[in-house]
Amino acid sequence: MADTILQGEKITRVFRQGKAETKVLDGIDIKIFEKDFTVIMGPSGAGKSTLLYSLSGMDQISRGRVLYRDQEISGLSENRMARLRAEEFGFVFQQTHLVSNLTLLENVLVAGYVSKKDSAEKVKERAANLLRQMDVEEAKDRLSSQVSGGEAQRAAIARAMIGKPGLLFADEPTGALNQANTREVLGLLTDLNRKGQSILMVTHDLQAAARGNRILYLEDGKVCDELALKPYNEMEEKQRERDVSQWLSRLRW
Amino acid sequence: MLENQIMIRAGMKRHKGSYIGIGILLFLTALSLTTVLMIALVGNSYIREEMERAGFGDLTAWASDVPDMEFLLESIREQEGVEGAEVQELVFSEYEANGMESDSEGQMIPWNSQGSEASFGDRYRFFQNNLSGYAKAPEEIREDEVYVSPSMKSMMDLEPGDTITFPIARGGRKLSLTVAGYYEDPFMGSSMIGMKGFLIAGKTYEQICSVIEETGMDALARDGGMIHIETKSGMNASEMNRELTENTPLSMYTEFIHSADTIAGFMAILQNAFCAIMAAFAVVLLGVAMAVMGHSISGLVEQEWKNFGILKTLGFTGRKLSGQLLVQYGGAMGVGIILGMLLAVPMAGMVSRMTVTTTGVLLPVRFPLLPCVGIFAILLLVPAGFCILRLRKIRKITPMAAIRGESDRVSVSGTTFFRNGLRAKGLTFHLALRQVLTGRRRYASACLVAALLVFFASLAGRMNSWLGTDGKGMMDAFNPADLDLGVQVMGKLPVEEMEQMVLSYTDIIDSYLLAMPSISVNGTNYTANVITEPERFHISRGQTSREADQVVLTEALAADLGADVGDSVTIRGNKGSREFTVSGIYHCANDMGANLGMSREGYLSIGEDDSRLWCYHYFLEDVSQKQAITEALEQAYGGDVHVHENSWPGLFGIISAMHLMILVLYGMSAVFICIVTGMAGTKILDAERKDMGIYKSIGCSVRMLRISFAFRFGLVAAAGAVIGTMAAIGFTDPVVSTVMRLAGISNFASGNTLGSVLLPGGIVILLFFGLAWLLSGRIRKEDMNVLTAES
Repeated sequence: MADTILQGEKITRVFRQGKAETKVLDGIDIKIFEKDFTVIMGPSGAGKSTLLYSLSGMDQISRGRVLYRDQEISGLSENRMARLRAEEFGFVFQQTHLVSNLTLLENVLVAGYVSKKDSAEKVKERAANLLRQMDVEEAKDRLSSQVSGGEAQRAAIARAMIGKPGLLFADEPTGALNQANTREVLGLLTDLNRKGQSILMVTHDLQAAARGNRILYLEDGKVCDELALKPYNEMEEKQRERDVSQWLSRLRW
Repeated sequence: MLENQIMIRAGMKRHKGSYIGIGILLFLTALSLTTVLMIALVGNSYIREEMERAGFGDLTAWASDVPDMEFLLESIREQEGVEGAEVQELVFSEYEANGMESDSEGQMIPWNSQGSEASFGDRYRFFQNNLSGYAKAPEEIREDEVYVSPSMKSMMDLEPGDTITFPIARGGRKLSLTVAGYYEDPFMGSSMIGMKGFLIAGKTYEQICSVIEETGMDALARDGGMIHIETKSGMNASEMNRELTENTPLSMYTEFIHSADTIAGFMAILQNAFCAIMAAFAVVLLGVAMAVMGHSISGLVEQEWKNFGILKTLGFTGRKLSGQLLVQYGGAMGVGIILGMLLAVPMAGMVSRMTVTTTGVLLPVRFPLLPCVGIFAILLLVPAGFCILRLRKIRKITPMAAIRGESDRVSVSGTTFFRNGLRAKGLTFHLALRQVLTGRRRYASACLVAALLVFFASLAGRMNSWLGTDGKGMMDAFNPADLDLGVQVMGKLPVEEMEQMVLSYTDIIDSYLLAMPSISVNGTNYTANVITEPERFHISRGQTSREADQVVLTEALAADLGADVGDSVTIRGNKGSREFTVSGIYHCANDMGANLGMSREGYLSIGEDDSRLWCYHYFLEDVSQKQAITEALEQAYGGDVHVHENSWPGLFGIISAMHLMILVLYGMSAVFICIVTGMAGTKILDAERKDMGIYKSIGCSVRMLRISFAFRFGLVAAAGAVIGTMAAIGFTDPVVSTVMRLAGISNFASGNTLGSVLLPGGIVILLFFGLAWLLSGRIRKEDMNVLTAES
């Protein structure tokens, strides 16, 4: 079995509004393994994104703890958490969330500069390579408002990858894309995973979920079930999707 | 109708921060403008009313050594244009208090409470000792008491219980009186006027007159009177003056003569000059308030874009939506303006009490209704009109475009500019620069505000640097020629002896003589600055009066006489009259700038020479010895010598008032910067919540984001500061000169020290940067959930 890269213990997240309390995550124990493409699925309001952001330190947890490579990260100071995000984590969101007044290239460069892992020259070189790899090289000097959703999302993936993250978090990365762009983005994520990139992705899209090798099903703030799959293979795509679909049917999704 | 109420109430609640900010800005603008207006209008009218009430007439001549006052009065009353004339007896005398010597002679005026015409009993009003209001007039003034103008407090730090000494005659015949309180002198009360009135007991006056008579040539004080002349309607003071000079012996005894207008001008000069500056500042504040409002409207429309689209689908028209916003902004402005105008009433009272030691009068608090209604209308309608213009864009919103999010948010286009714009080194700064460049409209108001405030702060700073900590700028403006020390020798003291004493302290580098006799030009009395070395005059145009038939005029006098360089004027002295050619224009703010300069030879062709006329002006090798020389001369020769520096006691009151005003300007600027940064910053942070989340997600620390945010305002303020500083360099002198001319100062030229040029801009940049940094503390609390798919 692969090493654990991220581990959550008894993760509880309670939202309070006045005296009313809503428990979104209810003492979840979870492990994410190195080089896995882990997918979290579940019905709307199950707490998928909340779990993703709790594990990634983007959101605070009410109880429990999170360990990244055996180091507790829940409760880290703001600055240390920022460093961790810059050096070890990459994020891809549903709404591409590129900074609107930076070009695609600059969005990638900023993240590279902030990570401080490489010299500026190396960051530039790597950014150019990533954008080429993501097939958005021609649009690199455009603003996010001047490119298609697919191009923007591919640039967002390049941005997430510029700091050579240990773990890539993706929150519904294809949720706002059309079919063609969805396939392109999923292809990129799959390629990255094949090259050894650990990925934790939240999705409610069956086609996207089928790209993972491990699918966790979340309901009412708890992990209810888990499906293990072989690493993705294009030849078996339809079969994988059917397997996932059947599994989800059993869970009454 | 009901829907409007709901929308307006909801809007007020949602954007209360913006409306409170706008309200505060308009409040401060209305407060300063109304206060200034009240003081300026009431100040001028009150002084005229009081002068009229006290019966000071249209023209007043100060006369001394008049052998037969009744005869003189009769000859005046006989003139065709004279309605009436009466004399107020007095004694002219130098005085000393709290270790300071007077610069001009004081006038001891007998007073008693019985109210007879001779004593002018109800002519004066008396103050409470703390100067907070009026007190009942005393039953009588005791023989050892004196009442002084409140400006003596700022001039000589005189308070009740202090002693004033008047050297009445040689041989140690001094009169020491204890200050019993203050009285309001609408005639000579301002610290801008060197001559000061002292109310004394009738018996004391009689005793002084006896001493003067007894001591004869040894008398240092002189008896005299203020002759108040009432003219018939239609006769102006200048014509009257000419008539009196030609047909009566008045000019033989006149020390100086001034019209009621001139005296009122003297009295109100300070408040008028300060009010003009403050009014200009208030106009700048209005400009700032409008700039902020423009920004606020843009931000609000951007924020509510989608809601406007939704509301339009419900049937709201663009006109209706803009109308609702106009009501909200108008409400905030109206409340601010009304509160500001109401608070101006106690504020004017406070300013009046605070400045009584400089102005000498306690200005009443009156609310000038019509002008205030005018101000209210301007303050409300100008910004409201601006508001309507800015709200027009709401009409352009199509419902679906707004709902789809096709807002007029800052859109950036073009690609070339952005290529490789970011650098790893100084990333924080580069990000800030990018935000500013791509979101120019959001920062435009802050830039404009910075420019306006830097301009005004620079203007104030440059005035301050001109003034100097010791008021040198002001002193130079009032002196016809430079000097270190002036000594006027009276009586039997030989000049050589006096000079020997000066030389025992330090060498005299240079010297010249100056006299200030009264002469008449084209029939009107003025003071002449007569000098042995005319090249020392501060000439601004033409040439100095080197020849005996030449004179130089101030700009103000040239304008009064309608004369210019090359013209001829007829000047009469106490010996005769002749024509002089105006050879140049010089500057000297004495007598509100209405004076002339001439050579000694020129004066002696029309006036009698008298050794007591001349003051010896010295330039010393060791200027630090001035104080020691002054003390030694006064100790050795007492009343036979009058020593003065390049200063007068009232100057320090004026300098204090000026410094206070500059502090107020800086304080107001700081408040405005706080509000502007607060409003603009909050809107920007609201609009950039998502961007902040993105930056956080890629690992930017809160500290980096905060610095970057503060940098943006620093950059914008820097751009504004450059514009403001350039404007100040270009416009300070003409703008301030216009105001200074009110005080007769025609030679205002601000200093250009590196500090005075850069400091205001630097302070404004730091303020913007610091406040933006404080405001950006919000970034710490910004939740990254704003990025989640479910949000």
